[in-house]
Amino acid sequence: MSVSSVIRRVAGAWLDGDLLYRFRRSPVAVAAAALGALLVLAALGADLLAPYDAFDPASANAADARLPPGSQGLFGETYALGTDPQGRDMLSAMLYGLRTSLVVGVASVGLAAVMGVLLGLVAGYCGGLIDAIIMRTADVQLGFPAILIALLIDGVTRAVLPREVHERFAMPVLIVAIAASYWVQYARTVRGLVLVERRRDYVLAARVTGVSTPRTLFAHILPNVLGPILVIATINLALAILTESTLSFLGVGLPATQPSLGSLVRIGNEFVFSGDWWISTLPGLLLVLLSLSVNIFGDWLRDALNPKLAQ
Amino acid sequence: MSALLSVENLRVEIAARDRRLTAIDDISFTIGAGEILGVVGESGAGKSVTGTAILGLLEPPAALAGGRIAFAGRRIDTLDEESMRRLRGKEIAAVFQDPLTSLDPLMTVGEQLVETMLTHLPIKRKEAFARAEDLLRMVGLPAPRERLQAYPHALSGGMRQRVVLALAFCCNPRLIIADEPTTALDVSVQAQILDVLRRMCRENGTAVMLVTHDMGVIAEATDRVAVMYAGRLAEIGPTRALVEEASHPYTRGLMASIPSLTRRRDTLVQIPGAMPRPDAPVSGCAFHPRCPSAEARCRSERPPAFAVEASQVACWLADPARRSVSA
Amino acid sequence: MGPGRAAHGGGRAAMIFVLGRLGQAFLVLLAAALVSFCLFRFVGDPVNNMTGQAASLAEREAMRAALGLADPVVLQFVRFVGKAVHGDFGMSYRFGQPVAGLVLERLPATLELSVVSMLIATGLGLPLGVWTALHRGSRLAQAVLAVSLVGIALPTFLIGIVLILVFSVRLGWLPSFGRGDTIQLGPWSTGLLTGSGLRSLVLPSVTLAVFQLALILRLTRAEMLEVMRTDFIRFARARGLHRGAIQYRHGLRNTLVPVVTIVGLQFGNVFAFSIIVETVFQWPGLGLLVIQAIQFGDIPVLAAYLVLVALCFAVINIAVDLFHLAIDPRIRISGGARGAA
Repeated sequence: MSVSSVIRRVAGAWLDGDLLYRFRRSPVAVAAAALGALLVLAALGADLLAPYDAFDPASANAADARLPPGSQGLFGETYALGTDPQGRDMLSAMLYGLRTSLVVGVASVGLAAVMGVLLGLVAGYCGGLIDAIIMRTADVQLGFPAILIALLIDGVTRAVLPREVHERFAMPVLIVAIAASYWVQYARTVRGLVLVERRRDYVLAARVTGVSTPRTLFAHILPNVLGPILVIATINLALAILTESTLSFLGVGLPATQPSLGSLVRIGNEFVFSGDWWISTLPGLLLVLLSLSVNIFGDWLRDALNPKLAQ
Repeated sequence: MSALLSVENLRVEIAARDRRLTAIDDISFTIGAGEILGVVGESGAGKSVTGTAILGLLEPPAALAGGRIAFAGRRIDTLDEESMRRLRGKEIAAVFQDPLTSLDPLMTVGEQLVETMLTHLPIKRKEAFARAEDLLRMVGLPAPRERLQAYPHALSGGMRQRVVLALAFCCNPRLIIADEPTTALDVSVQAQILDVLRRMCRENGTAVMLVTHDMGVIAEATDRVAVMYAGRLAEIGPTRALVEEASHPYTRGLMASIPSLTRRRDTLVQIPGAMPRPDAPVSGCAFHPRCPSAEARCRSERPPAFAVEASQVACWLADPARRSVSA
Repeated sequence: MGPGRAAHGGGRAAMIFVLGRLGQAFLVLLAAALVSFCLFRFVGDPVNNMTGQAASLAEREAMRAALGLADPVVLQFVRFVGKAVHGDFGMSYRFGQPVAGLVLERLPATLELSVVSMLIATGLGLPLGVWTALHRGSRLAQAVLAVSLVGIALPTFLIGIVLILVFSVRLGWLPSFGRGDTIQLGPWSTGLLTGSGLRSLVLPSVTLAVFQLALILRLTRAEMLEVMRTDFIRFARARGLHRGAIQYRHGLRNTLVPVVTIVGLQFGNVFAFSIIVETVFQWPGLGLLVIQAIQFGDIPVLAAYLVLVALCFAVINIAVDLFHLAIDPRIRISGGARGAA
């Protein structure tokens, strides 16, 4: 039984099953999903939608710094959402920042999921010392908040690597740092499932008849595991987005050359008292919309997939 | 002797996605004072739901959809929650299947007994504690006074179920609904628990509705037995009569499938097929797809309950009009 | 199994449990110390960092000898641990002062902030969580739940900024930075005894509390709903117990066991989030110190912070475990571990 056939089977079961029915009946879930989809599309199409390339320093005109939304620039450019202290167009910076947040979020969740699932499979299947080591590490790490772990990893690499190297690798480092904080839940869930399946009769039967046990185990675990993993992943995505923006706000995430919603808020924070509200408020609003849509959808998904809450 | 509990045309429906499923489909039976009625059937036949409905503990999406339940001459299915609460534990008590999960893990055995008694009986704490100790002795727990201070996890499965029995009897109820009281226990302990239950019922004159899927328990412990199938009552009558000479084909199949140590058989007897589920109801008699004696009428019309000696049988084969013709 | 034997066996199981936890905590501390030591020793050149660029060769050699950098690494680690146990983490690169002194100076600010916000979060979160669970269908409960979801979704730093905008800039009711006036009680500087100190505490502690409150509310609600579905609650209803007795004596007590465990662990989370709040409000606590240390590359401070955090987490974990042991009889009997998979 190949992985793709299993996934196809499960996806098919979901598409015309309970989940879709509940989704259609829940206006909140639909709204959240729609908003999220809209934001994702905007982020993916940032290159097309953004009037100016936020990465190109030449597009930032220092003379046009801190213009309110709707202003006209020196050379006749229209800044729909105003400009930041360096003269960068807010709309463009926000779109690119949105894309950054999503890329970092999705990548770190994906990495965490892969790490966690693998470690969970190994721990559950091998048992013994390996299992103990992995699970003790997980236990200990669960006590530490993600922010601290990400902060530590990022801080250390920042101190160790020279500035240019760090800037180039800032995003991967950030992704690894956030992923390293979130793998635990996946590992625990998968390990639990492996332990349950291992005791099933078909595993013993397979072993007696000489069929390779790992293959049969994984073929049976995968369908059961996809649901919980999806829920954990959605909730993690929300947390990862928050963590990335928080780290950027604190100044230890991405460097100033790569716009992120969090760093935009930080830049704008200094000008809040002088009345230039749009520099931190607008990116903040976009961040909230993104976070809300992912959180609401994740919350709905968790309730929908929870067999105990089945109504 | 008028019946202690009388159930008439009880219907329980479950609201599913966009339709309503029938869990209990028009059943009627009575339980007399001090009598032990067994309720037997396959998993999903509706036995547990019946007990839950009588206790008024049905929770959404399940709900009463028709019929009448009367206890000691008083109608209880329409009672308000507070009046029902006063009945529960005092007049009608319950024993559930899993004794470990039935007891609050954070309270001692004694505390749970005392709490129940203080809720329903006009006695003081000290007296309640004394009675609790007596109850534990009555259910056969060794060292009852020390046991009062024990937490549920410290006891074995059999001991816990004895505690549950003590909790059921502590306010001297007139009826006990026992839902699979021995299923979760070791075989060796099952017989002991049944003994305790039977003994205390006889001594106190308590009626019991003993729900189980175990035919052995039925044969051992009950006076009458009701056979449920797909939410309906197939047959109800004196245990002796049903065990020795059942009328309904389903009951016969059930009795025949009990492996016997005395009679010699070459193969295990089975009833082929499976019981219809609530989301796939069957027309006419629910059993007809599996019945060896099914006729055309069975497929289209649901049989009412016919009287056959001291039993009631819901089967067209027991129709007196039919019998007089063939006789 | 006689009751006497059960008690004896239970006591032993409990002791094994506690010892196991202590051992785990010790290992965590050791690991933290190791990472800390590696930071110290191998990030950049400690000698350079300590003496600066203008030092002569002789001065560098003297420093190298003083720091004992020529000795085997294991010996250096042992020395490091020895000094750490005495609270000696060397000198901060940025301030040129002993790290321990810096940390102790900032600790009260962070602790006061953390404790006050945890009190707000728990004091509101627990009761609201219980209430929304028991009144599941009501519109108000749904509204509270929706608001709690927003509370989780909002980034803490944004909440702080918005609060500043509204209450400091627009309304001018509350200060937007700093701690106000503090009073020195021995080694502890407290802001709780002055008017301006308390006023300065409001916005930061509320900001810090929002996320925790929402989390605790939802957690308590989820646990309570779970408990109310159990067999023993069903059995309690079947026994005709009063609704209050069922909900509170049985329901709430069983809910509190896992909830308090997790709330205790959340306290550690508050430490981390305080970094954010202290940055937004320029609150002179450990968080602000750490962020500045990261930006400046002040390794000794980072190393000390790491060990301190590990110590705090270890202490909190042990406290939570002991609490769990005290209130849950199941552990005394089986010696089971909290959160075993």
